Amino acid sequence: MKMHAIVLILILLMLILLSGNVNAIAYCSLRDPVAQIAELYPQKTNQLSIVKTVDDNIRSQVQIALPSNDLHFSELGRHTLYIAMFGKEILGYVHVRSEQSDWGLVEIVWAIDKDLRIRNFVFQRCRSPKKKIAQQSDFKAMFIGKNYQELKQQLSADGVTANESVLTHAQGAPELANVVLRCALKTLLLTEMLWGEELEKL
Amino acid sequence: MKPLAVILLVLFLSFVFSALSVPCYATFAQNLRWSIDGSARLNHNQALDNSSRIYALGIDTHKVFTNSTGDIGYGVGQLYWTKLSNHMPVPFLFSSKDDSDLIIREAHLNYTAGPNWLPNVRVGHFTLPFGLEESIDTNGRLLDYYLGKNLGTKLDWGVSLNKVISQIEYNLSYTLGGKDKAKSVDGSYAVTGRIGSLSHHDLVIGVSIFDGNIDNISRKRLALDWQYYWGTWGFLGELALGEDNKQSQGWQKEKYSLIELNKTSINNQLKLYSQFIIKDKEFQESTDKRINIGFSYQFTTQLELSMSGVKQINTPASGQKQQLASVQLRYRY
Repeated sequence: MKMHAIVLILILLMLILLSGNVNAIAYCSLRDPVAQIAELYPQKTNQLSIVKTVDDNIRSQVQIALPSNDLHFSELGRHTLYIAMFGKEILGYVHVRSEQSDWGLVEIVWAIDKDLRIRNFVFQRCRSPKKKIAQQSDFKAMFIGKNYQELKQQLSADGVTANESVLTHAQGAPELANVVLRCALKTLLLTEMLWGEELEKL
Repeated sequence: MKPLAVILLVLFLSFVFSALSVPCYATFAQNLRWSIDGSARLNHNQALDNSSRIYALGIDTHKVFTNSTGDIGYGVGQLYWTKLSNHMPVPFLFSSKDDSDLIIREAHLNYTAGPNWLPNVRVGHFTLPFGLEESIDTNGRLLDYYLGKNLGTKLDWGVSLNKVISQIEYNLSYTLGGKDKAKSVDGSYAVTGRIGSLSHHDLVIGVSIFDGNIDNISRKRLALDWQYYWGTWGFLGELALGEDNKQSQGWQKEKYSLIELNKTSINNQLKLYSQFIIKDKEFQESTDKRINIGFSYQFTTQLELSMSGVKQINTPASGQKQQLASVQLRYRY
């Protein structure tokens, strides 16, 4: 009986404390996307990490900027933007974001140039059977070189799927095009909102 | 080593890292992650007809050290107050079934600023790089890959060389074999290493080695581990072959294998797994076979509920089959 009471009190305490945002996983399991950064910036000699917090306020701003969209709960908490360096020269930025899909979370490692345009991307995790299509240059070309505003024009009226133009060029992988587009938009938006000021100082 | 001494050591090493980063791009608070991590675990051991609890409350930290040209390295520090309540058998870190103590889980620094062709260097108390545990962290979770039971300890004090290169990642460590003590005890040591394909791919294959002496038992292991993911399904396995030398018994061959089938919901909140574990010792009458079924459900970023049930299939010499049910609530703030 005593044990039941303790467990109950713990549950209640935890429910009351449901606020704030931290990583659900222990920090010893954090891994930098070292291989992906090297693939995106083969000439880089080092990387510079800047850690910022994605909180409920940021989440609300994303919902306002991109109606009908939300951040997955794993996207809240402390997140890292990597600056790819060649000596003291900045090559560009790397930002990893997750997007929910029919095949579980898709994790994309984005290379972003200094003007906050998509430079390239690779998958950290993608269990879609059509992943290989999304790794081809024709598919990537729909997103590479575009900034937030240009990508936003690729959204259809519902705010979550890509427009007809993108879908017809998606080479039979329209669901993946939707996921990649939403992820790109949130990535550029969050990069500007959270890291923009700091990046300007570099 | 006393917890206070360890904390001072980690603080000292952190200071050294910070000093290395002068002119300091970031103050100590920048690039710092920290969480208060609390959990309550209830176990029922059918064989012993015993219910027990384990409470843990601690701080989990991760800090990236940088200078103007990039990252120098990172540190992880995890210090937990842990309380047992009627827990049997008593874990080695405790003196009685109702004991409590400050426990250091991971406390290490990894220097990553060397040239691309040089490995990173990790110093401190870390999880031994072996098998599935190297890419799937189970610290503080009910999910387990039995690293401690297989090698004699899960974490140890020492140094490791590690790196992720284009298609391969490796980690090779030399540790003192003192487990929670940062020293060699009666000649203890452990050499552990794993080399594998990149752990974020859908198919991951790794080979691990272990040669050590911990608690006066010499162990040698050679292991193969694999992970294959298809959609939201995962098929994992580990096969370790080797031998143990207890002083009184001489060398005995050991075989350990684990197969896991898991399923994750598309929103990543629910994870289900089932494991089949076989452990065979040369002079043991019957092969130990167990099944383990469990799940974890992530209510929010902070709150996770997990349950697991382990059942022994074979009948051991004692005649009592192991049967353990566990439930854990974990909250990170």
